[in-house]
This record gives sequence, C-alpha cells and structure tokens, in this order.
Amino acid sequence: MPDPIHQFNIEKLIPLDYQGYDISFTNSSLFMVGALLLITFGLMFAMRSRALVPGRLQSVAEGAYEFVAGMVRDSMGEQGMKFFPLVFSLFTFILVLNMLGMVPGWFTVTSHLSVTAALAAIVFVTVIVVGFAKNGLHFLHLFVPSGVPWYVLPLVVAIEVISFFSRPLSHSVRLFANMLAGHITLKVFAGFIIMLLGAAGAMKGLAILPLTAATALTALEFLVAFLQAYVFTMLTCMYLNDALHPGH
Amino acid sequence: MSDQPKGPQPHKGELSPAEIAAFERRAAELGDKIDKLQAGKQAEITAEQDRAMQSKGMAYGLRMSSELVAAILVGGLIGYGLDQLFGTTPWLFLLFFILGFAAGIMNVTRAFTAMQAEIKKETGGNIGQAVANDDDD
Repeated sequence: MPDPIHQFNIEKLIPLDYQGYDISFTNSSLFMVGALLLITFGLMFAMRSRALVPGRLQSVAEGAYEFVAGMVRDSMGEQGMKFFPLVFSLFTFILVLNMLGMVPGWFTVTSHLSVTAALAAIVFVTVIVVGFAKNGLHFLHLFVPSGVPWYVLPLVVAIEVISFFSRPLSHSVRLFANMLAGHITLKVFAGFIIMLLGAAGAMKGLAILPLTAATALTALEFLVAFLQAYVFTMLTCMYLNDALHPGH
Repeated sequence: MSDQPKGPQPHKGELSPAEIAAFERRAAELGDKIDKLQAGKQAEITAEQDRAMQSKGMAYGLRMSSELVAAILVGGLIGYGLDQLFGTTPWLFLLFFILGFAAGIMNVTRAFTAMQAEIKKETGGNIGQAVANDDDD
C-alpha cells in the first residue's frame, strides 16, 4: 500500500543555506510562488477589460471582492475596510493553495502547520499591534469584561487571557488539521482501490466500494477547501474587530 | 351571464354555457400550473438555503471543537511553563488546565452566540431548522 503521508514530504528543489539556516527553495515554496502568481495575474487578467457589464472572469473577480468586502463590513463596519488588503490576501492565498492541493499529485501547502501557524501569527501580531496603537492601554479592556464583581475578576481575567492566547492555536490548527486529515483519508481510500484490484478473482469487484467513497470524499474535500478558507477569513475579521473595538 | 345558463339560444356575442365551462376549466388548469411552478421554485430556494446552511453548519461545528481543544491546550501549556518557572509542579498545571477548560467553554459559548445572531439575521429563524438530508458523512 502506498504511504499516505508521503504526499506531505518537503523536497528541496534548490538547496540554499544562510549562516547555518536552511532556507532552501522547496516544493512548498514553489506552490506558494505559484499561488501568488496565479492570484496576481489571474485577477489582472480577469479585470483587464474593466467593463461596466462584467464578463465571466470579471464576475468571478468582482464576486471574490464583494464576498470578502461583505465579510469585513459585517464584522468591523466601514472602518474595517482598512484591513481589506490583508483579509483579501489571506483569503485568496489560502483558497488558491487549498484548491491547488486538490489537483492529484500536487502539493498541499496548507497541510503544514508551520505555514498555517505563520498565517495565524500574522493576524495575531496585527491584532496586538493595531490594538495597542489605536487604543493604547485601553486595549487591555479586552481581558476585563464589564460588570464583573471584583472577587471573581482575577479568575475571569485569567480565563480571558487563556482564551485570547488560544486563538492563534485554534486558528492555525483548524486549517492545517482539516487539510491534512482530508488528504490522508483520500489517499488511504485510493490505496484500497489499488490493493483490491491487485487481489485475486472476485475480490476485484469490491474495489467499487472504495472508489465510491473516494469520489464522494473528493467532492467533500472541495467543499472543505473552500470552507476552511472562509472560516479562516471570517475569524480573521472577528479578531481584527477586537483590535478596533476592545471590550465586549 | 351565468345566471341564465339554460337559455337555448344565447345572444349574439355571448358565450354558450359549454364554452364558459371550457374557459373556466382552462383558467383553473393554468392556475394550478402556476401554483405548481411557484411551489417548485420555493422548494428549490429552500433546498438551496438548506444546502448553504449545512455547509455553514459544518464550518461552525469544526470551529467549535477546535476552540475548545485549543483553549485547554494553551491553558495546560501556560500552567506547565509557570510550573517550570516556579518549581511548583504539578499544581499550576492543574489549575491552568481547569482554567483552560473554562476558557474553552467560554470560546464555544461566544462562537455559538455569534453564529446564532448571524443565522437569525439570514433566515429569521432559529438554528434548529429541519434539514432535508441530515446524515453527517
């Protein structure tokens, strides 16, 4: 049976070394660069005519803009549009990486915790920096809910702090775990098909069962690929909202 | 016109009872057809909403579980770190593990409140909506 984990191997395409740090250009880097080029030139190509009545591709590009802008406005209001470039970049980057990962044999960048953790860290640090820059020490009110009696306040503050620091973890692990688990499951079922086809006689017929499952899972994975990009973006908006309006 | 349908010879320009009946039947059939089409369209819209709701529900479900687990992990990690710092193993770990659990529950409650508000805004109904196909595979 083929190794279901093998697909996540990082391979060095161009080995590089900077003062003892390994900064090689890997297959993961290749797909990230590919996604960036695809997004940039895809959007530029889609918007090339700038028609008042959009064509097919232009509708897709405008739809993506409206979708993210709606999310940003819903959670942060009009002033949240300052964060639109960040949120839109995160959304398209994750969505395209997830979708590229669905191409058989291609690498899924978002199935590595280091990548999703870096993305979550960008959001986390942005929230802290913007929160303190805009609100000063008032930002700490995020940890002190109003209307709590003083004798339970230490407990509540401790819980709030833990809750705050759990955000980057759940933010990154969710995306990573979903992509990892989905791709492993797909690979395992695909492996079953090959194993059963290699078996003797009537056992070959049983291969239809994992084939059905793999087909259904592929559809589900496309859904998950979009949903996880959506959830990541939605939570980014929610967290950024805390930076603008601390205190519940 | 219909109050004297028995007249053997209807006036010029008037419809005979048979023609009136035929016309009314056609009108009724057309009405039925329109009703049916509208009902079908409504069902389609409802199905569409249900599908959207289902995928959203999945997103929310995945979110809830990770919120809870992440808070417990972070609580435990903070406690463990403080224990190493002060040499109080295992008491602070235990304390912060429990606090982490509380934080996790709080995360889930908040996520649920936000989700309920969003769904209420979208459908006007509550979360416990009947879904046509509810198997979770």
